[in-house]
Amino acid sequence: MKTALGTGRWWLWSALCVLLLALLGALVFLARAYEDQRLTSQLEHNAVDIVGEIRNGLALNALALQGLHESLPAQTAWRQSATALLLVHREIVRLEWRTADLQIRQAQVSPFLPQLFDFLPRSQAQPDVQQACANARRFHGPAYSTSYFLPLEEGRGQELMEMCLPLLREGREEGFLVATYGLSDMLSELIRPDTRRQRSIALTESDGARLSILGTVPREHGVIHAAHSLELPGSVYMLRVERARQLRGLLPDVLTSGVAVLALALVSMLALFAFDVRKRLHAEARLSEALAFRQAMEDSLLSGLRARDMRGRITYVNPAFCQLVGLPAEQLIGSSNPAPYWPADRVDEYLSRETLRHSGEIPARQGFEAEYLRPDGTRVPVLIVEAPLINEIGKQTGWMSAVVDLSAQRRVEEQSRASQERLQATARLAMAGEMASLISHELNQPLAAIASYASGTLNLLHEPELPLESLREDLETAIRRIADQAARAGRVIKSVSDLVRRRERSRSAVPVQELFDGIAPLVQLQARKSGIKVEWLVAPDCPPVWCDATMVEQVLLNLVRNGLQAMPTGDPPPASGLRTLQLHAAPAAGHEGSERRWVAFTITDHGKGLSDEVAKRLFTPFFTTRTEGMGLGLSLCRTVVEQHGGTLGYEHAEPRGTVFRFTLPAAP
Amino acid sequence: MMSAMAAHGTVFLIDDDEAVREALAWMLRTRRLLSTPYASGDAFWAVAQSWTDGPPTAPCCAVLDLRMPGMSGLALFELLLEQPWFALMPVIFLSGHADVPTAVDTVLRGAFDFCEKPFSDNALVSRIERALARSAEEVAKLQRRLQLQQRLAGLTEREQAVMQLIAAGLPNKLVADQLQISVRTVEVHRARIFDKMGVKSVVELVKLLHQT
Repeated sequence: MKTALGTGRWWLWSALCVLLLALLGALVFLARAYEDQRLTSQLEHNAVDIVGEIRNGLALNALALQGLHESLPAQTAWRQSATALLLVHREIVRLEWRTADLQIRQAQVSPFLPQLFDFLPRSQAQPDVQQACANARRFHGPAYSTSYFLPLEEGRGQELMEMCLPLLREGREEGFLVATYGLSDMLSELIRPDTRRQRSIALTESDGARLSILGTVPREHGVIHAAHSLELPGSVYMLRVERARQLRGLLPDVLTSGVAVLALALVSMLALFAFDVRKRLHAEARLSEALAFRQAMEDSLLSGLRARDMRGRITYVNPAFCQLVGLPAEQLIGSSNPAPYWPADRVDEYLSRETLRHSGEIPARQGFEAEYLRPDGTRVPVLIVEAPLINEIGKQTGWMSAVVDLSAQRRVEEQSRASQERLQATARLAMAGEMASLISHELNQPLAAIASYASGTLNLLHEPELPLESLREDLETAIRRIADQAARAGRVIKSVSDLVRRRERSRSAVPVQELFDGIAPLVQLQARKSGIKVEWLVAPDCPPVWCDATMVEQVLLNLVRNGLQAMPTGDPPPASGLRTLQLHAAPAAGHEGSERRWVAFTITDHGKGLSDEVAKRLFTPFFTTRTEGMGLGLSLCRTVVEQHGGTLGYEHAEPRGTVFRFTLPAAP
Repeated sequence: MMSAMAAHGTVFLIDDDEAVREALAWMLRTRRLLSTPYASGDAFWAVAQSWTDGPPTAPCCAVLDLRMPGMSGLALFELLLEQPWFALMPVIFLSGHADVPTAVDTVLRGAFDFCEKPFSDNALVSRIERALARSAEEVAKLQRRLQLQQRLAGLTEREQAVMQLIAAGLPNKLVADQLQISVRTVEVHRARIFDKMGVKSVVELVKLLHQT
């Protein structure tokens, strides 16, 4: 279960990592793309600027050239002005003053390139000049030709462009000024150096063929480029600006590194989160294990567990408790006093006991006994041990009780008590039988002899032929023998009474508490069965008694048992508080003038008391009010007490019931 | 009063209590019965175990107390039961009230009777007399058997074979056929058998043989 969950989780975790990595990759890629785009758009602005600069430069040049013909110049003056202008504007490689029909009137070559048209004649460029001038005428302003390649010596050459400026005077066209631009010079002269730094600027035809290039950029990492059209009257070029893509090394772009840092933070957060989840899972597993352990423990317990809050409402029960009271947990939880399993006749008793217990006067862990009623009507004796429930801040929130079913134990006690009594009775009977057999044998012998002499005597008396003298002798013998045997029988009887008397020698000084302790287990058992409280009280100055402990214990047991049986369940009712039996022992006044001290035992019950008729025959042997009784109890008790020299009597108890009182001599 | 014939015989009184022994002996004497007292089972057994041919003073009977120190009455009875002459000496037990079931049990196993102590009147004496009568009968029976055995021992082998066939009711001729002897010889044998066995007819012979 756990491993399956683990592998499932691992799969999830790896998927999450892959997704995260993909996200990071995409982020980095997008950041780079954004950076590129930003650079590209910057470059495009750059290109526009450059185009503007070129156009601006060309327009300024056109104005300057126009200035050359502000006034109709003289031939020599034009040359001088043209030379001066060419010196300033290196991009112009040649100036021509042409007539309206395009015949050259004056021409001046740039002093920087004096041999420009040495390799090929100028006439080669005539179509371009014508085209430009036709446009100029149409535009009434400067117009440019398409570029053309002018080869030079040794395979070199230069891309050139003609500009034709119509010369107007008083609204009439009187000629053209043709300026030949070197394209490469035009780029290098017209573009400001700070604009073209780290850039490679190229002019291309609209179809992409490169005409001229200015500057180089490193190409190892690729380049970014932007293009913009350079529209001149009569001609269109493409301006292409390139810059190197920046090396992405240890110091990536701010954005990328920002993203990377964020991603790293995210990953570490994720790791932290994963660690936390792992820890939490472990804790949860431990917790559920502990819970299962506790659950199993509670379910396996044989004793019932019950928790109640301070108002007595049940908040928790375990299965054993449900089984004990025979009610389902749903029916128990939430129920309050009186609990559904309290027998109706003991509700008052339990309520008052609970008040007393919860007032804190009785130590909490001391167990107490109760009786629960099941729905099927059976009653279960239980032992309850209660402890306060304390929450984490030390405040008591209720009570936790462990409830043990005592019925099995009771049954065993009952059985063992019954079997013990049976055994005692059997033993007593067997002993009595043995005794009787012994005595009868001992008596049989002399009786048999006596019978023999008697019948022999009769035989002789019926014998008529015997001489009188011999008859007399025989009869005398026989009768003497009969007397002997009668004496012998008498001795047997005496020895039996001696045996009984010998018991007196087993008397000793016995503390009263010892007598009480001897019978307490048997008494408690019976008292608990009928819900009677037995109060044992020995006066502090009570001396030990001089008695046969076994016999006196039998007397006490007999009287206590009578008292308990006088109070059957429900009479008197538990609510009356009279279901008690008092057993007191105290020093008593002796007979007049006697030194001997006495101890009086009183056994007080609260049964329905003795009727006069019963009282009259109380000590008569074989008189009993009970169907199963022998009727020997009280008469034997009196015999035993009187053998000890004491007396046994009774009187009526207040408010009801009977007091039996007997005295025994105190130990000397 | 019983006849002198029936009253003769010996009563062995076995009781540990001297008073009881004496009282019983005294009473038996008033009825003209002789008794020999023994103080214990061991004392009686010491004498009785040497009796090979039965009690020398037949007819007799034993009055045995059930409860005795040393060898109890019951133990002695077990020993007597094994003796070949057990039938010649009937045993009467004396028992206390508590021992009645034991006493009844001994009667079922072969004791003659029991008497519960203390016994009254002459109940015990009449039982003793019946026991002696039984003893006398047994002695007579034994004597007849011994006599028969002696007579049978006096026959020769051939006579015995002839007697078997005659007793089975075969006529002389068939006996002669069966034994491959002449009828005359069978007649001689027959006369001698009748003489030796002391009978006068086949019927008497058969009666004698079946009596024991």
